[in-house]
Amino acid sequence: MKPGLRSPLAEALLALADDELILAHRDSEWTGHAPILEEDIAFANIALDELGHAALWYRLVADLREEDAERYPDRLVFHRPAGAFRNVRLVEHPKGDWAFTIVRQFLFDSAEQVRLKALAAHPQASLAQTAAKILTEERYHLRHLSAWVTRLAQGTPESKHRMQAALDHLWPLAGQLFQTLPGEAILVDAGAWPASPMLGIEWQAQVTDFLTGCGLTIPARTSPDESGRQIHSAHLEPLLAEMQSVARLEPQGEW
Amino acid sequence: MTSDAERLAAFEARIAAGEKIEPGDWMPDEYRRQLIRMISQHAHSEVVGMLPEGGWITMAPSLRRKLVLLAKVQDEAGHGQYLYHAAETLGVSREEMLAALLAGKAKYSSIFNYPATSWADMGVIGWFVDGAAILNQTMLARCSYGPYARAMIRICAEESFHYKQGMEIVLTLCQGTPAQRTMVQDAVRRWWWPTLMMFGPHDAESPNTPTLVRWGIKTRTNDELRQEFVNQVVPDARTMGLSLPDPELRFDEVEGNWRFGEIDWDEFWRVVHGDGPCNRERLGARRAAHDDGLWVRQALEAYAARA
Amino acid sequence: MSDTQWPRYEVFQQETPDRPHRHAGSVHAPDAEIALLNGRDVFVRRPECSSLWVAPASAIFGGTAEELAAGAPPTGDVSGETVEFLVFAKVDPRGTLTHVGQVQAASKRRAVEEAVHACGPQTPFVLWVVPAALVTRSEPGEAAPLFSPALDRPYRDQAFYHIQTALRRLRQESGG
Repeated sequence: MKPGLRSPLAEALLALADDELILAHRDSEWTGHAPILEEDIAFANIALDELGHAALWYRLVADLREEDAERYPDRLVFHRPAGAFRNVRLVEHPKGDWAFTIVRQFLFDSAEQVRLKALAAHPQASLAQTAAKILTEERYHLRHLSAWVTRLAQGTPESKHRMQAALDHLWPLAGQLFQTLPGEAILVDAGAWPASPMLGIEWQAQVTDFLTGCGLTIPARTSPDESGRQIHSAHLEPLLAEMQSVARLEPQGEW
Repeated sequence: MTSDAERLAAFEARIAAGEKIEPGDWMPDEYRRQLIRMISQHAHSEVVGMLPEGGWITMAPSLRRKLVLLAKVQDEAGHGQYLYHAAETLGVSREEMLAALLAGKAKYSSIFNYPATSWADMGVIGWFVDGAAILNQTMLARCSYGPYARAMIRICAEESFHYKQGMEIVLTLCQGTPAQRTMVQDAVRRWWWPTLMMFGPHDAESPNTPTLVRWGIKTRTNDELRQEFVNQVVPDARTMGLSLPDPELRFDEVEGNWRFGEIDWDEFWRVVHGDGPCNRERLGARRAAHDDGLWVRQALEAYAARA
Repeated sequence: MSDTQWPRYEVFQQETPDRPHRHAGSVHAPDAEIALLNGRDVFVRRPECSSLWVAPASAIFGGTAEELAAGAPPTGDVSGETVEFLVFAKVDPRGTLTHVGQVQAASKRRAVEEAVHACGPQTPFVLWVVPAALVTRSEPGEAAPLFSPALDRPYRDQAFYHIQTALRRLRQESGG
């Protein structure tokens, strides 16, 4: 890999890692509180997968930055302030009701699939392999989430109402997933990354098709919030304060 | 026409021969009743047990700890699931079992009515509570009722990971900073007696035990299991420099047992009867999850009905 | 609308392609697709698995040797066209219900008779028959996303933790 590309690639992967981490964190809040026992098990599985994905991306970032692959990921997760995180605002929002969680997970997983398919063909072996491995799990997620979106969107008037309300709230936030990532411009110029906006077009067509097929209405297009991934909602700081609280008791300690 | 007495004799002979009783086999009403009680209590315990640990996933202090704790709590849900299945094979429905739990009528292991107040509790719960559960479950894996024994075998295989991840946390903390050592020592102090209470009343105060032993459901008594647990834990606690909150703890050379002080049976019965530190909170959380999930369960049933 | 925990589906798991499916337990699900997905999440958290089958508990007919000998009739059994039934049997008192083969029959009662006959001299301890059309099977092409993730979770394996080594080292350090 060209030396000049290592730093922007690390930035792009860090953004993907942060997305997975924060979403996994939100997903994990459902354990013990899901609508039925089987969903406690199923959703914990999804959270575990996402956390595993985050760990894989953080490791690649560590390699690119020539940092300790065992220690650096934890430093990134537990010792960065909110302002240094590069996740989208979509994943910061509290978990909401079950409809909110399902719609958010569906939008995220479908977006991930589109991007991962492109990355699985990447010339850099470790990147392509990581993407391919994650893609295998994401196929299962999408099968699970698609089944749930279909059923909740068409189940009862109440479930349909909740699903529509969730989509109304989440759709404007989902657009940020395909804004140009940190570091992406340089990579795309060098032919070393699939351009996000192009992937976004593919994703939007796919999910619009699916969701309208379920009887849901895609909210009208509003002017997109172009503020970058360094801008966060009010939800991130309290989330991180909780997430980092124990680790920060002994910042140099082993946990 | 075989009489009930003949059927009972045949049934007890099957058990004595080490055969498994399967769903559909003739069984005394009392056997069925005791098993439903035990298995459903066990299932409820797994599900309620997700709560004290589930609350700490968001604060796990490393990626590995976060992954492992999430996997552990997921396993517990899975164990609840296997156990509800085993109870269902005896003719009770999951709706009935849940209704009893949420109405406060069903029991679950009292250990989960204690709060997990520090990260170190995650280690000590794995070490003490899962360690105790392994002893109990290893015994139950030989139980005469097929579905319960099979559920126990699956659970035992998974439980040993639970115990070890807890020990790993305790080992890390007791070799850590002074603040970390204090944290884990405090957790040990709070969880020791409640864990000993997990094994239930003294044998003399345990009216169900002789019947359960004759029918191959229990093969060891409460006191036997409790003594084995103490014998296992005390040497490891000493190795790790952790002290147990029992001034009467001493090794009896003659019996080869660690002798220990008397359990506070007032506390035991108070917590069993619903007056523990977290009883209301635990049930409240389960009720909320159930109520909040109603529209979801109904939506999926409505969809299936139309398909 | 009433509140239920959804109907039960029995789950059958095949560890490797050269072994028969065995009964693993049951899941509650509103329909077959969710049952298959739930079955995977409940029963395939650890390797190995190559195939999963689910069937509504209500579609399964069978019982213990005693029950079948007593001739308890199946509920709602109608003699219709001959269809395929999958047969699961427990032939070892310490074993589990295992897929043993298929029979062709026009009713549940006939399916059981065919199955008992096919089992030969040794009457199974428990026998289940279920119409093949009501069994949902995981697709072979979907094996990777369904089953391979479980292979990637070393932290779930108790062998991943070296507790005894750590304790031994501590004992040595503290001199006894």
